Amino acid sequence: MPQITVEELATLMKKAAGVTVSPQQLQERPDTGFETLGVDSLGLLGIVGELENAHGTPMPVDAERCKTPQQFLNLVNTTLMAGA
Amino acid sequence: MSEPQDRPAAITGIGVVAPNGTSTDTFWKATQEGVSVLDRVTREGCENLPLKVAGEVRAFDPADTIEERFLVQTDRFTHYAMAAADFALADARLGQADTSASPYSIGVVTAAGSGGGEFGQRELQRLWGKGSRFVGPYQSIAWFYAASTGQVSIRRGFKGPCSVVASDEAGGLDALAHAARAVRRGTDAIVAGSTEAPLAPYSMVCQLGYDELSRETDPTRAYRPFTDAACGFVPAEGGAMLVVESAAAARERGVEVRAVIAGHGATFTGASRWDRSREGLAEAIRKALADADCAPEEVDVVFADALGVPAADRAEALALADALGAHAARVPVTAPKTGIGRGYCAAPVLDTAAAVLAMEHGLIPPTPNVFDVCHDLDLVTGRARPAEARTALVLSRGLMGSNSALLLRHGAGK
Repeated sequence: MPQITVEELATLMKKAAGVTVSPQQLQERPDTGFETLGVDSLGLLGIVGELENAHGTPMPVDAERCKTPQQFLNLVNTTLMAGA
Repeated sequence: MSEPQDRPAAITGIGVVAPNGTSTDTFWKATQEGVSVLDRVTREGCENLPLKVAGEVRAFDPADTIEERFLVQTDRFTHYAMAAADFALADARLGQADTSASPYSIGVVTAAGSGGGEFGQRELQRLWGKGSRFVGPYQSIAWFYAASTGQVSIRRGFKGPCSVVASDEAGGLDALAHAARAVRRGTDAIVAGSTEAPLAPYSMVCQLGYDELSRETDPTRAYRPFTDAACGFVPAEGGAMLVVESAAAARERGVEVRAVIAGHGATFTGASRWDRSREGLAEAIRKALADADCAPEEVDVVFADALGVPAADRAEALALADALGAHAARVPVTAPKTGIGRGYCAAPVLDTAAAVLAMEHGLIPPTPNVFDVCHDLDLVTGRARPAEARTALVLSRGLMGSNSALLLRHGAGK
């Protein structure tokens, strides 16, 4: 199962939550909170839904509760690794 | 409105996104010139519906003024509301710094008839086309008729009294009255008004059941109230938001009081019972006059509901005669909405904006596309009429039976 990259996350943040953030930004400051970036809880839920549809697999229930991109990528990628 | 009048509620800012102008200046220019922008419906997916003429907002790109993260989670009707609210606040010179210093002193009141139909249709198509996993979470809030109040308050950081009035088309006036009450009870300012976006396939199909809807295909003949050729109304999108502010707070800020919301009355007489709306509208007018301590003869101009259905037009003309007496045949009456269409709850808010501008400019805008009036009314047609208007009466009725009257007095300046 492929890992979710900062590029993919940045694309989804734009698509599902209307937030423009560069992959570099996510790479360099992965602890900047979703809230600070402008992604609210429904926006994160939308990102989770898009990932589930794209990868054809359910994401962990806690994914939509992550506070930062770092937390989110760690959790989601760990789960995907375990599933693969 | 039974609250004491010692805290008058003033209108200090006007923001418009209308079919005939996406700024207050362009709206007023087109309105006073009597320009009609009614045209064939061009919105995608609406071409083959039996509703051919509407008032579309065409010169508006929400991305010019609204951040993308607010755009993705809202319907077109909320885009109009956020933009109009921005315009109104800028007009009232209430910047982000002013309102963030005391966020609890400013709130939002809107009215909406149909909510976010376009957004809802898109998500429902995903639901039935691809499955529930493809419905975006913002569907939960975007379709809702309360969305505009919520999003305007969140986006601007307003934490004062917020509400949504659901009372049919007349709700546009009731929202302004509700805002005035909040100001009288102690809130400094309320951003109040209505915007609608009923020109999308799903929303338009919902309207096809209204007998009052005009099926005429010629834009110049589709909406001609108070004439023998009246054949219903033409729907429209867009609307207006106003800053309703305590006159004292406005003076303290050195901002002009453009008009005062002096009186309001509302009644209910049942869906499509237009003969009964005579009594209901007359009573609403009497209540508004009494509320403002205003004699019928003091009314200098009437912005009519002007539904364009013969029985409804007759009821409105008779209601004016019942409530204003002999003055009803003398007072200038106008219905600029015949040039832009009826934006449901937004229609009477645009009329209120036009009424304030008419008093400021000493010019009563005409009623486009209307020529031979068949009622005992002095309807302003053809071109704008110069008049020193200091008191304006705005009327609205809804298809579901609400009747409302709002009385405005010209501001005393600073």
